[in-house]
Parts: sequence; structure tokens; C-alpha cells
Amino acid sequence: MPGLIGFLLVVAVPFAMNIGISFTRWRGIGEPRYVGLANYTRLLADTAFWTSLENTLFFVVAMAVVPTVISLVLASTLFDYVANTFGQGLSSFFRAGFYLPQILPVSAAGILWGWILNPHGVLNLILGGLGMVGLQGNWLGDPGLAIYALMAVMVWLQIGYSLVVFMSGLARVDPSLYEAAELDGAGSVQRFWYITIPMLRPEIFVVGLTTTIAALKVFAPVYVLTNGGPNFSTMVPSYYSYYQFFSTVRVGYGAAIATAQTAITVVLGLIFLWAQSRDEEEDME
Amino acid sequence: MKTAMKLALALLAGLTVGTGPALAASKTFKVWWYEPADGALGISWAAALKEFKQQHPDVNVEFELKTFNQINQAGSLILNSSEAPDVLEYNKGNGTAGLVASEGLLQSLDKPFHDRGWDKILSPSAVELGRYDQNGIFGSGPLYGISDYGEFVSVFYNADMLSKAGMTVPKTLPEFEADMDKFVAKGITPIAEAANDYPAQHLMYLLALSKADAKWVSDFEGLKGPLDTKPFVYAAQKLQDWVKKGYVSKDSTGMNANDMISQFTSGKSPFAITGTWLSTAFGNIKTFHASQFLFPGNRFAPGSTGNLWVVPKSAKHKDLAYDFIGITLSPKIQNLMGNSGGLPIAADPAKITNPVGKITTTLFNKLVAQKGLGFYPDWPVAGFYNVVLQGTQAVIGGSITPKQFGERLKQAYDAGLN
Repeated sequence: MPGLIGFLLVVAVPFAMNIGISFTRWRGIGEPRYVGLANYTRLLADTAFWTSLENTLFFVVAMAVVPTVISLVLASTLFDYVANTFGQGLSSFFRAGFYLPQILPVSAAGILWGWILNPHGVLNLILGGLGMVGLQGNWLGDPGLAIYALMAVMVWLQIGYSLVVFMSGLARVDPSLYEAAELDGAGSVQRFWYITIPMLRPEIFVVGLTTTIAALKVFAPVYVLTNGGPNFSTMVPSYYSYYQFFSTVRVGYGAAIATAQTAITVVLGLIFLWAQSRDEEEDME
Repeated sequence: MKTAMKLALALLAGLTVGTGPALAASKTFKVWWYEPADGALGISWAAALKEFKQQHPDVNVEFELKTFNQINQAGSLILNSSEAPDVLEYNKGNGTAGLVASEGLLQSLDKPFHDRGWDKILSPSAVELGRYDQNGIFGSGPLYGISDYGEFVSVFYNADMLSKAGMTVPKTLPEFEADMDKFVAKGITPIAEAANDYPAQHLMYLLALSKADAKWVSDFEGLKGPLDTKPFVYAAQKLQDWVKKGYVSKDSTGMNANDMISQFTSGKSPFAITGTWLSTAFGNIKTFHASQFLFPGNRFAPGSTGNLWVVPKSAKHKDLAYDFIGITLSPKIQNLMGNSGGLPIAADPAKITNPVGKITTTLFNKLVAQKGLGFYPDWPVAGFYNVVLQGTQAVIGGSITPKQFGERLKQAYDAGLN
């Protein structure tokens, strides 16, 4: 019951209000004026919104795809190799290290990355020191580079999360499976492919779903590092909605963006869940 | 019975004793602002509040230091609630103070303005930004805010670097460009700039203002019709030309205001084109002498009177709010602001001995005398700030043409006309 009240208060009511506001023209104070579907018609023709959706795909790659692949490899290396060869302690040390970015407040991490990626920042200094001047870049200021710089930051941020989930998943795998495979002559690549991945399938689904949703509503790193720039190259729906809410005070339009974004997220989430349940059914058969 | 009597007496006594201070303390005066405590504004307003307390020993004063973003983004919500203070600093401009004024959330200050003699201290142009019409456009209508300081954008320079290179302060734009050529020849980027933040749009606007007249400025800021983009297109061309000549680095597209400040204060670039809010910081530089001059050849510069003291409609103690505003306008506080390196609006220049305060006050008076306050490029329409910022950044980075820049500004500006 308390859960239901909380859900109503924090999710359902604000969500319904947001939908209501999206049909109005409103400056945040005063009387909202009903405008029907005007905000949505405008949304369909708004190139900035479509650009922000396209950019979301980059964030899905950087938050859901790449970190999942990297942490699968890392988890299996730490579990199957590091822990066996060097002991559990070293494996735990690495796991904690990779998880560290998840504990840092994004705003603090953003300031650090701002220093690193600044044209006169640490990354360019290192590249210059190594004599690789040609590789130096204006990481956050060049519209062609900024999205990749943000992607790199997101990969760094996300690996720890997937890694910890995968390692806890591996802990329930019977070690004798690996031993048997090894006796049968399976190499580390084969063990990874035929044991680790199939055994971790439920975890991969969970990580895929949660990180994809996180990517669809990414806000803080964009807010801290680029404000959606340069030249809108890192604009994402959340930031665009926020911008309409608080900068242009087109609150109705901001609400329409937020509603569209929520709809997309819910649909993708349902597709994910449907694919997972179908996958499980196939396993049962 | 005796005990009951005693108890009643004791209770009564307790009540009487209790009510005395409780009544006095019930008058609580709330004031908010968001200027840092160590700047000229923070110093002088703290002194004004101290003075206020001395004049009103019976009033309980509650001061809260807010941040710019808190007021900029949630100001209207706060003013619309019962939590609003009695007086607060509010960001000037159509999209901010104008918005809340037009929604009826602010108290008109016309009466105290005359009754308390503020009209003798502040000229009509000094309160232009405090007036908002029913659509929230500044310049006319009731008076909703009072500013007690000014600000403007000028060129800060490293006097040591200039004198070492045998240069004097340039009088014209060609002289300024010739000086910059000499620095470029030595491998020095002359202008410290930040295009991932507010500074670059001030340089862009200075260049636009070099091709503007009073009518253009008034039409542009007053949202009087579709945008005439010619000065902006010129500014973008000139800016790209300056990037090509090496006066401004393309790297600035990845830098913020703090990067620009450190570029200038570390002596890497001899010029920084920015506002008087940095005067105190630059005046404190120990490694070289920093001073400032008005952008050569321009009548107009980005500049205005400062942020506003506003009194919420729902304020409980409006008279106390007027008392406080009156104190900030008093000669004592105004001179203190100047001597802390700030730019008071009504100080006696003869009383200002602080070198930074003296030069900013002198230049500001010159700018006001030539009717050269050009306001800011982001004011006319809510949300224009981001459009101008991203556009200027793209111009410097070379990803859009000057013509595209003009079109982009026009699209956002004209959308704000209705």
C-alpha cells in the first residue's frame, strides 16, 4: 500500500499532469492556455528534436552496447583468469576500481573530464608530450568530436555497473563447468563463448534494458560538459526538454518533448521485455 | 484553591513574559541575493544589511545567499508561492523580471520611487531596465525593480605586455588590429576567449554594435519588429576573419569563462574582452598590472544597469523592503561599492580612491554620456541566450557561415515576436 501511494505521488500524478500541460501554452506561471495538439505538431517539424533523438542512438551505443561488451570480457577475465591465477583479492580490487566512477557524483566527474578534455587540458598535454600532436583535438568544442568525447566519458562511467552485475552472475556458475570444459580442451575464448555468455544471458538482458533506458534519458553529463553544444551536436531529448522548460519558458512544449520521450522509452522497454520472455520460453521448450 | 490561584498567576506571568519578545520577533524581514560575498556587490550589500539592522533593532533579519541558477530557473515559482522573501535580487531582462512582472507577481515601486526621493538619485535611463509593460518588455510601464549598480563590457589589457611591446592603448579599431598583428607575429594569441560560455557572445555583440545605431539597438532590444540581421552578419564575418588572422583561437570553442580568465591572468594573452563583474578579480592580479579601455571605435558596448531589487507582491513587510533598497542607494554604501572595486550607480567619483573602482566608474560615466549602453544580445526573447551562444561558438569554429548565423538568430528572434 505505501508503495502504491508513493507510485501515485511520484510517478503517476506528475506523469498525468505533464501530459495535461503538453496540450497547453504556458510560461510556468499564470493561466495555461489550451492549444490542443499544437505542441506535438510543432515537435514533429522541429529539427532540433530529431537531432536530439539521433544523438540518443550514440548514447545507446556508449551506455548499453560498448560497456556491456567490454564488461563481459572484463568480468570473464577477472573471474576465469585473474581470480584463478592471482587470487580473489586482486580480482576484487579491479572490480572495485572499475566501479568507482559509478560512486562519483556526475557533476564532480564532469568537472574532472572538463579539465581533461579542455583544449589545453590533460589529454592534449599527454598527446603533445608523446609527440602525437596530430591526434590532439578540441574535444568538447568541435561539433565533429564532442559526441565521441561524451561517449568515451559514458563508457568510462558505465563499465563498473555492468561489470558488477556480471561478476555477481558468474558467482552462481558452477566452477566445475569451467574445469570440465578445460579438461575437454576448450580454450579461454571457447569457454567465454560457450559458457560465460549463455550462463549470463539473464544478466545481459537486465543490463541491456536498464542501460538502454538510462541512455534514453541521459541528462547530467550533457548538462555538465557541453550544454547540448557545440552547434547542437550533443543535444539529447532530456536536455532539450529542460531547455524549453527553464530557458525559453515554453513549459507546454517542454512537457510535450518529455511525453514523447517517455512514450519512446516505454515502447522500447516493452519490446525488450517481450524479447526476453520469448527467449526464456524458447529455453523452456 | 490557593494552589490553583498560584498556578493561574504563574501561567499568566509566563504568558506576559513570553509574549513580549515573541511579538517583537514575529516581524521577520527576509532578503535574498546571489552575488558572492567577496565581490564589491556582496561587500556593500552586507554593509547595507548591517546598517538596516542598526536602524531596525526590533526586526529579525533573515538573509539567504542564493545562486544565480536558483533564481534564474525557479524564480517565478518562488515568487508565485508563499515562500517569497520581502526583497530579492532578480535578473533583469524581458525573459526574467519582465516575465514575472507581467504575470503580476511583483509590487510596483512607483510610489516609493517618488515618496522616498529615489527619483532624485536615479536618472530616467538608470531605471529604464526596471520598467516593464504588460507584455513584460522593458523600457516602459510601471517600475518594478531598482538597480544600484552598473556593468559594461570593455577590453581588459595586460599593461606590462603592452609596454614591453612598445604599445599604448589603441584609439581606433585599425590600431587595435595592428597591435594584435604584432602579438600574433610573436606567436601569442592576443585575445583570451571562451566560446563554450558567455564571453564570446559579448565580443560578437561588440562587433555587431560597431555597425549599429541607436534605433537598431532600441528596435532589437524592444522586440519592435522582425530582426534586422545586418550587424550580426557583419559581426560573424569579422569574427571569422579574426579567427583566421589568429586574434582569437579556434580552441576557444572548447573553453569556458574560467579558462578565459586563467588564460588572461596567467599572462598568456594580453587582452580579455569581458564585463566589469571581473574588474575586481583582474584588479587583484599580482604578477602584472591589468587595466581596461572601451572597445576602440565603438559608441555602444554591451552594458546596462545591474540586476534589480524587486519586491514580491506577496511580501509581508514592503515598507522594510523599501527601507533596505533606500540604504543600498545611500552615498555611504554606494561609495563603499566603488572603493571595493565595483561600479556604483550613484557614487561621488571624487570619493572613490580604489584604482579599479575609479577606472570602471570613469569609463562607465563616459559610456553613459555618449548614450552608449547597448544592453545584451540575449535579452529580447526568452531562451535567446542559448541560440546566440551556440551560434557564436559555431561561427568561431567555422561550422556555419555568417549568413547562416544571421538566419538562425532571426528564426529564434522572430518566433518571439507574437
